[in-house]
Amino acid sequence: MPVTVAMVSLASCWGCYQSLLDTHEALLDILPQLDIKFWHTVTDFKYKDLESYKDGSIDVGIVEGVCRTEEDVHILKTLRKKCKTLISLGTCSTYGGIYGLLNLTTIDQALKRKFVEAESVQEPNIPEEDVPKMLDFIVPNRKIVDFEVFLPGCPVVSKDIADAILGLLKGELPKPPVRTLCDECPREKSEVITIKQLKRDYEGIPDPKKCLLEQGYICMGPATREGCGALCPKAGMPCRGCYGPGPNVIDQGAKMISALGSIVDYESISPEELVEKVGDVAGTFYNFFLPSGIISKTVRKAK
Amino acid sequence: MGGNGEFEPRIVGILCNWCTYAGADMAGTSRMQYPPNVRFIRVMCSSRVDPQFILKAFELGADGVFIGGCHHGDCHYVTGNYRAEERIKLVRKLIEQLGIEPERLRLEWISASEGNVLVEVMNDFVKKLKELGPSPLSKDKE
Repeated sequence: MPVTVAMVSLASCWGCYQSLLDTHEALLDILPQLDIKFWHTVTDFKYKDLESYKDGSIDVGIVEGVCRTEEDVHILKTLRKKCKTLISLGTCSTYGGIYGLLNLTTIDQALKRKFVEAESVQEPNIPEEDVPKMLDFIVPNRKIVDFEVFLPGCPVVSKDIADAILGLLKGELPKPPVRTLCDECPREKSEVITIKQLKRDYEGIPDPKKCLLEQGYICMGPATREGCGALCPKAGMPCRGCYGPGPNVIDQGAKMISALGSIVDYESISPEELVEKVGDVAGTFYNFFLPSGIISKTVRKAK
Repeated sequence: MGGNGEFEPRIVGILCNWCTYAGADMAGTSRMQYPPNVRFIRVMCSSRVDPQFILKAFELGADGVFIGGCHHGDCHYVTGNYRAEERIKLVRKLIEQLGIEPERLRLEWISASEGNVLVEVMNDFVKKLKELGPSPLSKDKE
């Protein structure tokens, strides 16, 4: 008997489903075992198709993306009712993702920026008719409904998806992370890492073998969980932390600030220089994590 | 809130064991008065203060967070206070971006013999927080 599956996309870039399709040959093992009941990303399903299933009648639900509108909340809650197991696919669904940076501003300001102030706008007009109501702030999906499985990543590495789905078909849940990204990164690290000079990503060409932090690039490795196989550092790009916090960490950004404080050479870089060089502290350390952080959104009062 | 309806800020103070906590001890044994708005927590070193502690204190509604450590060069663990300074200045910028006034997070170096400095700093901090008003995350109902 194939496993029945329903898949939904909330506010997202659809990249995680792209990654699912990228599993290539693993699809040959996966697809015959699945009976797809709902996937409005690829075919013309309507919400009533999902709503008409009996509660708890679908085995697995997969959620990609974050709730930005009331429509998203509705579809997420509906899916939870219909499914026995719910999988959170990708960082947006798990932690709030890059959309979460909108929590640094208010939705009114964001709409104004997008539809009125943007340089390409010719007829400023904030759409109000026939659009679902926007939520004031982004809340991670886990605060709206319960999930059984979390697969973070932006996007989730295809192998992770295939392993998780094949494991789930056998009744095994994916193992929680036990290490940070640095543990699986192949770059050479000294016993004691010190940063003598901070560099932005575009400055200089990094040595292909040495640890990026040691070379002065802000790499989120120490505060990020393992799982992706250090894809970005291997390619010479510092980690931005898309896999979310490492084991036993509550707040990824705060932990990275802590790690940076430990390794910056205070004789070469003063605290003021450090703050100036990092610039956008929230954007750098909470690139994918802001809605799940201890302080998850701006508390600035509207002027 | 104070008894007479005046705003009384709540401050979480995290003090290093070797300098500022000893300074607070000295202020106490010398019977110096400082405002009762602050609740002190002792840690072994100012670099023990994880940025998560600071964010948590604000999230729970603290109007101000005070970190006290040894003067530069005096750290019992040699470099702890330098590490703390790098972190806390980053956190100040972070809370500013999140809409909390950076003045609500204060870092001071106070040695074991400077009980009077601790008293002055506390008086000043409470005064500044009263000017700022309750934290945007304050749990007190207005």
